[in-house]
Amino acid sequence: MDVSQYLEIFLDETKEHLQNLNTQILELEADSENMDTINEIFRAAHSLKGMAGTMGYKRMQNLTHDMENVFSEVRNGNIKVQPEMIDVLFQCLDALEEYTNNIQQTTDEGTNDNEPLIKMLNDILNKETAAKEEPKAEAKAENADAGTGGSDKKWYDIALDDSQIHVIEEAKKSGQKVYGMNVTIQESCILKAARAFLVFKAIEENGEILVSNPSAQDVEDEKFDRDFTLIVVSELELDDVIKLAADVSEIEKVIGEPLALEKTKNYRPLDDEPAPAAAAEKTKPAAVEEKPKQQQTAAPAAKSGTEKKPAAGKPVVNRTVRVDIEKLDVLMNLVSELIIAKNSLVSASGLEQNNSSGFNEQIEYLESVTTNLHESVMKVRMVPIESVVSKFPRMIRDLSKTLNKKMELYMTGEETELDRTVVDEIGDPLMHLLRNSADHGLEDAELRKQRGKNPVGSIFLDAYQDGNNVVIEVRDDGNGIDTEAVKQKAIERGTITPEQAENMSEKEIIDLLFLPSFSTAKKVTDVSGRGVGLDVVKSKIESLSGEVEVKSKLGEGSTWTIRLPLTLAIIQTLMVVVGGEKYAISLGSIQTIENVMASDIKLVENKEVINLRGMVIPLIRMNELLDIESKATDDSLIVVIVKKGDKIAGLIVDDLIGQQEIVIKSLGAYIKQCKFISGATILGDGEVALILDANALL
Amino acid sequence: MDQIAVLNSDGKNELRNSAKKNVIAGTLLQYIVIKMGEEQYGIDIRYVDNIVRMQNITRVPKVQAYLKGVINLRGEVIPVVSLRLKMGLPADEYTKNTRIIILKTETAGNLGIIVDEVREVVTLGEDSIEKMTHEPKDSKTSFVNGIGKNGGELISLLDRNAITLETN
Repeated sequence: MDVSQYLEIFLDETKEHLQNLNTQILELEADSENMDTINEIFRAAHSLKGMAGTMGYKRMQNLTHDMENVFSEVRNGNIKVQPEMIDVLFQCLDALEEYTNNIQQTTDEGTNDNEPLIKMLNDILNKETAAKEEPKAEAKAENADAGTGGSDKKWYDIALDDSQIHVIEEAKKSGQKVYGMNVTIQESCILKAARAFLVFKAIEENGEILVSNPSAQDVEDEKFDRDFTLIVVSELELDDVIKLAADVSEIEKVIGEPLALEKTKNYRPLDDEPAPAAAAEKTKPAAVEEKPKQQQTAAPAAKSGTEKKPAAGKPVVNRTVRVDIEKLDVLMNLVSELIIAKNSLVSASGLEQNNSSGFNEQIEYLESVTTNLHESVMKVRMVPIESVVSKFPRMIRDLSKTLNKKMELYMTGEETELDRTVVDEIGDPLMHLLRNSADHGLEDAELRKQRGKNPVGSIFLDAYQDGNNVVIEVRDDGNGIDTEAVKQKAIERGTITPEQAENMSEKEIIDLLFLPSFSTAKKVTDVSGRGVGLDVVKSKIESLSGEVEVKSKLGEGSTWTIRLPLTLAIIQTLMVVVGGEKYAISLGSIQTIENVMASDIKLVENKEVINLRGMVIPLIRMNELLDIESKATDDSLIVVIVKKGDKIAGLIVDDLIGQQEIVIKSLGAYIKQCKFISGATILGDGEVALILDANALL
Repeated sequence: MDQIAVLNSDGKNELRNSAKKNVIAGTLLQYIVIKMGEEQYGIDIRYVDNIVRMQNITRVPKVQAYLKGVINLRGEVIPVVSLRLKMGLPADEYTKNTRIIILKTETAGNLGIIVDEVREVVTLGEDSIEKMTHEPKDSKTSFVNGIGKNGGELISLLDRNAITLETN
């Protein structure tokens, strides 16, 4: 089967399932009894297995299969969740992720069989069931007659009547073998009765089914859950009989063993008259017998309870359609053109001095429609940052183990939405910051205790929308940044001279951290300390037109604030004129607009500055920067004050046109654009105007 | 085959007629014949996306002199290059015949080149094209990779890559 066309869907869904598993297993670690979580995990593992199987990824299928086995046992209550088990499961998820990555890159899953992992999984299964078996055996010894219990060996739960026991004994005497078997049908199977029928048929061709629980009639009518228990008389060996049943498709597993008659319920040697001693015992089993029944009735009740619950407790997932981002881009471009067309109408109506109010009304109507349309198209591109941040709890858990520090991650605002392109890029920087907080920020438990802090460190990740920006804060209650240490390090490395260090403000020192290959970590760990982190964070965020800021208090912790624009495609700008050419400046970077008299300009170090309300602001004559003759003749200059962080500058322009929402277009790869032109836009009259990047001017 | 948007109706007829005249056997290549000064040049029609009239070009500061700026082509921002400046000829004088030919480049999207005049489309057989190797010293001929013979006229065939390649 050619499955390549499904590869993309497969990858998408696999990633979703893996993420889901990660989250759920984390939850399971916190609350190992939660049946909802266990069910959810089981379902995800099961779908993963199915998908990998369909796509022909055998190794992936094998691994998920073994994981599923473990989950299934957990679900059946045969295994208790142990910390070691969680570790193994996480390793499995990592292995699965590796498979997925391989598939994404080469469409092949790779050749790593991950045998150690599979072995560990099987060990968990075997060890735990063995451990479970033991107490069971003891229990059996205690009330040998009751002999119920073994959840797998359900054949011992069947109450045999005298005639059946008789037949079994006869069969044994005549050299035939008697087996107890339990057959489980796959959960996904639709025609369970048909499968069961095939199992019955296969066995009856080679033997006899003495007893079936539920009864053959009930099985035929599909009045059973997923498994049924048989007592079989056959001349074949056990393995052969099991194989007969297991060969039927959609059978999940078949277990069986030679039936030990003594262990069956109600068993008593047929010929023996009940001895006085046994009579007393006989009443006892009757009493005990009640119990399993109660348990049985209780179990299905509990089951229906848990099965309903996930439906209610399951997060309400919005119905979604996967759309190729290119198609969205096309839609976006069309909307942009519509906006341009609208803009030209607006300017045309202005030119003609046409005061007919009907015309203007229609234009206003068109304007509101295009604005709404634009907004909704933008919204389509928006995705919650959840897809990125949801992997962090797992990461912090792992860090906590590798660093041997206790820490908790608290996240808020995962539902905050950002443009898809931004969300895709934001993961790495956030990861760096979190790692940084975990490794450098938080002290170890001892030190925290000494300082009177909670020995468990806290890291916070908060996201929220702030106007046209989205703010993501990474905060920890650790040690904060030791500016003295940073200073020393910088001097040591020759980044700054001791004299410079004297005059540096706290903020300037902290900014040193963002320099490439600067690390104050005393030792390089797996986690951080190589000095590649923070400068990468900074450059990445800046490439997304965002900014990153640090606030820190020694001994109390640090806060890293990332500020990102909601969208990269459309911005609010101020249109200005320089030498007859129109330019757009992003409103986000403009602080104020001032009228300055030419005589107020002072020279400092041969550079023009103005003193504005006590602030000395350097001036940039845009016409000089843009190599064009200024057409302004006035003594009064128009100065646009732009700001980025603490840096500030005044741009001298000829004239102001006004505020305008523009669609950002790339200048194309052909133009190696100068730094301060960040793109172009098309104005209402069809002309192209360039966008000035004020950040690059500072 | 690519559509050629030709803007004046006279020109359109002219192009069609001339295309009909040249029915030659063998592998046929179509060229758009442009005029630069007194010389005629041909551009392989497969590389041409569009031909538009001269329009207002938005200057981009701090770029090479031959890069005249950008124009808006149906909502796309397209860089425009002066072929004259690129080839070391005197600067353009824009007339009513001046056209911008939108070329498809291999890597950098579309690129407009300003030419003095677009004359016609010719169909040349491979046998009537003489391949040329570059003489590195001659900056003008390095843009030409062949000479086409169209009746009695000679057409210098422009090398698209040489035109679209950035030079300093």
